[in-house]
Amino acid sequence: MTILKTLAAAGLAVATLFSATSLATAQETDQVGRQVYLDAVKGKKVIFIPISQGFDLNQAWVAVWQRHAARYGFSIEVRDPNGDTNAGIRAMQGAIAEKPDLIIVQNPDVQTYARLLKQAQQSGIKVMQVNMQSATQTDSYVGNDWIEMGKLEMTELAKSCTGPKAPSHKVVWLAGVQTGAANIYMRTGIDEVLKQYPELQLVSDQPADYSSEKARQITETVLQQHPDLCGIMGIWDNAEVGAGAAVAAAGKQDQVTIVTNGAGSDTGCQSIKNGLLDVIYNFNAPIQGEIAAQQISELLQHPERKAGSEKTIFFGPVTRVDKTNASGRNCWKLDELK
Amino acid sequence: MAGDKKATPAILGRGPGKPIKINQEWVVIAISVILFVVFSLGLDKFLSEGNIIALLKNVSILGTLAVGMGFVVVGRGIDLTMVAVMVVGVAFSIWISSWGIDFTLAALIGAGLAALLGLFTGIMIAFAEIPPIFATLAIASSIYGSGRIVFASDVLYAPNNVQWLKWIGSGTVFGLPASVIIFGVVAAAMGIFLRKTRFGRLVYATGDNPSAARNMGLPTRPLIVTQYVISALIAFTAGLIMTGLVTGINTRLYNSSLIYDVLLVVVLGGIGLSGGQGGVRNVIVGTILVGILTNGMTILNFSYTSQNLIKSIILLIALAIDAIINPRDEQTSQSGDI
Repeated sequence: MTILKTLAAAGLAVATLFSATSLATAQETDQVGRQVYLDAVKGKKVIFIPISQGFDLNQAWVAVWQRHAARYGFSIEVRDPNGDTNAGIRAMQGAIAEKPDLIIVQNPDVQTYARLLKQAQQSGIKVMQVNMQSATQTDSYVGNDWIEMGKLEMTELAKSCTGPKAPSHKVVWLAGVQTGAANIYMRTGIDEVLKQYPELQLVSDQPADYSSEKARQITETVLQQHPDLCGIMGIWDNAEVGAGAAVAAAGKQDQVTIVTNGAGSDTGCQSIKNGLLDVIYNFNAPIQGEIAAQQISELLQHPERKAGSEKTIFFGPVTRVDKTNASGRNCWKLDELK
Repeated sequence: MAGDKKATPAILGRGPGKPIKINQEWVVIAISVILFVVFSLGLDKFLSEGNIIALLKNVSILGTLAVGMGFVVVGRGIDLTMVAVMVVGVAFSIWISSWGIDFTLAALIGAGLAALLGLFTGIMIAFAEIPPIFATLAIASSIYGSGRIVFASDVLYAPNNVQWLKWIGSGTVFGLPASVIIFGVVAAAMGIFLRKTRFGRLVYATGDNPSAARNMGLPTRPLIVTQYVISALIAFTAGLIMTGLVTGINTRLYNSSLIYDVLLVVVLGGIGLSGGQGGVRNVIVGTILVGILTNGMTILNFSYTSQNLIKSIILLIALAIDAIINPRDEQTSQSGDI
């Protein structure tokens, strides 16, 4: 009997051991935390309110996010106000009423959505801002460090315009719109560099309204006043091509350095190759989009964290692109992202 | 004393003799001359040859558009589709050229599209009898909207190897930039057309009193349709100037204040919105005043917002002076005055 008992006990032990092993194997085949993550993001609703979907950077972001949404089964809806601030406010109000899990917003300026963003957070909707910030800080901001951008560009001009070989110390700042967050912060960065290089002379500081023709007109007029102009810095490669055209028309491409920033699309690289621009500080919109996609996942994964309870900031990488590296990853095409 | 009072209108040009006509055109010329003198004395290099050429070049697009608008306004219409036709027409040409079609052919096809759009607008106004301001407002929005759906991006760059487009951008004739020459040719052709051809005179007749013109047996409807086709083609020409100057076109321009600037030039120059009066000379006068103002303010480094404010104040002053000198009464007002 004792032998039988012992055998039974041993058999039981072996069986338990086996079943335990098989249980462990079953657990190991499912990657730790995977199912929890997939369940957390699946079926969630994200609404994006851009300034306009006509910009290259917006198209890159949305291409990246749609890929993520399709992969993980959450929905991303774009409510495009097409540059109309009033339509943007209506889109924001509509989005808040719909109670999505996350609102992504690209602010036209620092004030317009400031109160609406607060309202969204109070009603429990998480808010991520991309590239253009509001006066209200929300759960997350992914985009440029615009003060750094202002410093980078003006320092670039300082390099060309303070040495002994510089044609003069005269520089121009072609802003976009004066109330835009990017403009305000870039100006802070510019002023810091100007303090460092007191010999630099800011001879013109006018917004070109993100229009290449306006940029061309300002540059043409300024070049008449200051034929020895040394450098121009701007805020968007697609607008500064106008400044480049004015400089080219005056035959001063070798004298005037044109620095700007951009989303890194191939058109910017073409402008460098055509000699319209010298340097683009490229914030690579597809990479920015990937970082934002990671933030989307994080915000969707933690429904237990209240909207507005944390404030995360992530600045994307910036690459200095000139004619030596205007190729490959620095010049993306939208079709290649999809 | 009573005789004096009766003499006054004759001196002001209301009598049959018309010795001196102090009208809005002269007020605007006077303001332009005053500004020109003030800027020449106060601003270094304002009077330089280069700056005057830059000034003209910077208003060539505005002026070209205003010639088309003036033509329509003389016939008691208004064409708010001009900027939409300009950006969509040229963007369409660039878009089809990206399929491998030669850009010259693509531009001709674009011009055809612009003419068709003008034809449609004209038919809606002349035959469907929709008031021009509403018809063109709605059609402008539809044209831009359709363009927005067809073209992925707001900014479209023209191919880099089109010689005639390069010439428009940087070519010169006797020291004058090609863009200014094109504006001059369009303006001269329109001036001759309006003053010397039977068609031109009929436009004045229709604009002055459409009902009377129709009762007289004039073909007012085909006349109106033709006007909108011509203004659309002029808008397309302005778009080609812009593409030549800045290597591409930004369809977002539709959302800017450009169309109102064009109207400003027309009204400022003295073409009454009630039709039947004024001509190309008024357009040139208005264009030059805006050119002098913008150039001076750019040199003075005024912000975009204050530039717009000053522009509007000058317009208001010009209209006020005209209203004081030439008060409207039962005799001078026309039916349909706005």
